[in-house]
Amino acid sequence: MDPFEITQNRETVLELRNLSVSFDTPDGEVEAVRDVSLSLAAGETVAIVGESGCGKTVMCQSVMKLLPNTARIKQGNIIVCGEDITNYKDRQMRNLRGSTLSMIFQDPMTTLNPTVPIGKQITESLRLHGKMSAAAAHGRAVELLNLVGIDNPERKMKLQPHYFSGGMRQRCVLAIALAMSPKILFADEPTTSLDVTIQANMLDLLRDIQKKTGVAVALISHDLGVVARIADRVAVMYAGKIVEIGTAEDVFYDPRHPYTWGLMGALPSVAIETGTLRQIPGMPPSLLSPPPGDAFAVRNEYALAIDYEKMPPMFKISDTHSAATWLLDSRAPLVAPPVRNHIRQDVSKSENLRAVGKETIIKVVDYVQHFRVSQSLTIEAVRGVSLELRRGEVFGLVGESGCGKSTIARAIMGIYKPTSGKIYFKDKLVSDRRSYRANRRETARGAQIIFQDSAAALNQRMTAEEIVSEPLVINRMCKSRRELHDRTAELLALVGLDSAYLTKSPPELSGGQRQRLAIARSIAMAPDVIIADEPIASLDVSIQAQIVTLFQKLQRERGFTFLFIAHDLSMVRFICDRVGVMYAGRLVEMAPTDELFSSPHHPYTIALLSATPSPDPVSERAKKIVQFKPELDAADGKMRELSTEHFVRGLF
Amino acid sequence: MDAFGPKKGIFPSGMGRRIGGRLLIFLFMMLFLSVIVFYVSRLAPGDPLEAFYGDATQSMTAPEMEAARTRLGLDGSITEQYVKWAASVIQGDFGISLRHKRPAWDVVRPLIGNTLILGGTAYIVVFVLAVILALFCARFEDSLADRLICKIATAAFYIPTFWLGVVLVLIFSVNLRLLPSSGAYDIGKAGSFSNRVRHMILPMIVMVASHLWFYAYMIRNKLLDEIRRDYVLLARSKGLGRTRILITHCLRNVLPTIVNIMAISIPHVLSGTYVAEAVFNYPGIGALAVSSAKYHDYNLLMLMVMLTGVLVIISSMLAQSINEIIDPRMKAGEEAY
Repeated sequence: MDPFEITQNRETVLELRNLSVSFDTPDGEVEAVRDVSLSLAAGETVAIVGESGCGKTVMCQSVMKLLPNTARIKQGNIIVCGEDITNYKDRQMRNLRGSTLSMIFQDPMTTLNPTVPIGKQITESLRLHGKMSAAAAHGRAVELLNLVGIDNPERKMKLQPHYFSGGMRQRCVLAIALAMSPKILFADEPTTSLDVTIQANMLDLLRDIQKKTGVAVALISHDLGVVARIADRVAVMYAGKIVEIGTAEDVFYDPRHPYTWGLMGALPSVAIETGTLRQIPGMPPSLLSPPPGDAFAVRNEYALAIDYEKMPPMFKISDTHSAATWLLDSRAPLVAPPVRNHIRQDVSKSENLRAVGKETIIKVVDYVQHFRVSQSLTIEAVRGVSLELRRGEVFGLVGESGCGKSTIARAIMGIYKPTSGKIYFKDKLVSDRRSYRANRRETARGAQIIFQDSAAALNQRMTAEEIVSEPLVINRMCKSRRELHDRTAELLALVGLDSAYLTKSPPELSGGQRQRLAIARSIAMAPDVIIADEPIASLDVSIQAQIVTLFQKLQRERGFTFLFIAHDLSMVRFICDRVGVMYAGRLVEMAPTDELFSSPHHPYTIALLSATPSPDPVSERAKKIVQFKPELDAADGKMRELSTEHFVRGLF
Repeated sequence: MDAFGPKKGIFPSGMGRRIGGRLLIFLFMMLFLSVIVFYVSRLAPGDPLEAFYGDATQSMTAPEMEAARTRLGLDGSITEQYVKWAASVIQGDFGISLRHKRPAWDVVRPLIGNTLILGGTAYIVVFVLAVILALFCARFEDSLADRLICKIATAAFYIPTFWLGVVLVLIFSVNLRLLPSSGAYDIGKAGSFSNRVRHMILPMIVMVASHLWFYAYMIRNKLLDEIRRDYVLLARSKGLGRTRILITHCLRNVLPTIVNIMAISIPHVLSGTYVAEAVFNYPGIGALAVSSAKYHDYNLLMLMVMLTGVLVIISSMLAQSINEIIDPRMKAGEEAY
């Protein structure tokens, strides 16, 4: 932040006073937002963080009044630019939406109308609110597209969204939102579905635009790194309430609420020094009948007796910082915060105790995979990758979406037949159908895969017991039904699910529990290799920590070899021994984790590392993002060994 | 590849290839259709000679019948008959109608216009009204009017067309004497436009009433699917009202579905025409189609089937092309990447 910038006395554009919003559902009233007070000044960015279901989106949509009819504002006031809009009807709201209030959404692939040209989607609100002529609106739209960094806007106005990439579409959504120069912009997870490098550019753009237009931004995010990069103030929400609020520095460097401690401790970049992620036990409470006291009490290891009985008020810590926890009461015992957010980029991982053998368990040689989409189009998903996995190691494969990571995982599993190249599993060729079948007992059992979206990957109609025992039955691993049942229960216990879960089916489970189930299934055959394709990407931070800790435990106890595919670099850094970076179907750099993070060589790796946000506001704000230019990636480059185990494509 | 640059080869050679490909598919489908119908129609029991000679066949001797068969092209195996039939069709000759003892085309020609006018008008009215009704229901989702229309839609589905026709005739022709009960025009007034319109009103009402609700209900549900999508949230956050979102955003995305439904509903509406023609004694090809199948009038039957087939296949191809204009992503796999 500019030290000479005026921070006080800026016009307050949005004020929520004791806002409560609830939904009427067949099961009763769900109190989604409970007694929230928040203000937003012109030109400032307030981040609202919290896990899914904590009410962040409902809070923002209730200001826009975009909620379904079952939602209602139970109490409190919403004041926009000095005007109380709490009881505004839809007709009145329509004048505010798009002109004073604007919103951008999470998934740019679905928020744009697929059949309407981008230009028309932008001019629509200009013509509606601004009563502009077609020509004037057109001119303004071109101006807006320029503002959000889309080149050649005149031509792109006429194109439908499918001609644009995800990042470009999000820019278009932003252009739509900014069309009428709104006072307040709600950004609901605006970068969650984007790649890291694109996310970084998008955040910079958001900050730039804010500087130029003075719009107040309410940023909803679950990613504390993103928040650190652009937020001036941070509000932490839990179970529909704001539990802590303060400037970014307050919350990141001096967190006071135990939930904030939990969120911070679950971050791999904070935990890397100690080598263990702090887990928040349990799950968020149901908001159907929220507990009378602090909703976080049951998950809070520092909970006091009063936490279970009485809702803690907001305790003021400083002018800018307050938190709702009884720990701040003068009568409470003094508790030292268990996490020290002191992120040092130079720290190296605590020496791991894993015994990484020299034995190669999976070997991929010059693997090429082409997919023929139509006569005129063939996608080159993987363009020549060689790598090997050694027994007992955790190998991370990172890269942006579409770079071929998952394709490699599937080829190792024998799902795809390589266009060329060979894949060996313990010296057995698996890339060849005949050889795969001949060695099926070993190959099919030896490697197991876990997918990102286990809700989609697990059969909805099967019970947990059926899912986990299926591979055992297929491979006739158990002699009797009794033994099968015991084995299954044992496997579930191993992943932290008790036997009550045996009869449940995936829809009855939460995301984290489903992922545990998928893990139990994958280890049922006692495989040598587990391939985890973005296993934690769709989970909340605290659940991520639980799953990763489970991985670590299993790995330690059973010595699995892991191929960990991810786009979250901080998590990769936390658990992987070696990392391979992929770009456009090729491996561009491969090195031991510490080596890669401390001295990256390939320009793409450098760009990727610089774009990864870390939860440290001061360094994040100052950070310059290195842009990667595709032409830097030499087309004919070969992998060369720079130092022991450190390979880079081309000469860098 | 520059996604925004003009893609080389799409025009004109690509376009030519696409049209050529479709033409090929069209010819293949016609061939397939004709073979199937040709064979299946001959599987039905009965002698086609009866269609031509009526009771006279009973007094014919075997050689006479043989000679008659040869003359009418009914001799030889079915495959031979088919080849002969196909060869003459390629030259534009559909053979003679066994029952009417005239060239099949001459039998159909004077009536086809009547059916097309009745069917075509009903078709357009059905879909225009269906879209309007669907938009109205989607705009006021779950309101009293919406629920009422949906109930009517379900009820109307069970009302038999011919019964409705008879009831309408009773009310408007017999009791009120407002509208004529049968025919396409009064004798001697074939050229009078208003007279033709008056004759069309009742059959039209019957046809529209039997088809409208079904399609309106279908389009309404598609619209409601659409209004729950993410882009509608963005449109609402721009400040657009529900009516406007439905018309400028949702309808556009539902249009491909409507166009497809319109294409495949042609035989459906056409068969409705046949019923209306029967009830109102309207001179169209509906009755002809039924009788040709009943009396083994093979050449006439084949002509009708081929006409319907051409109409259906062409309209579904047209629908595909229209949809590609509305939503360019439908050019399968070509530019989606």
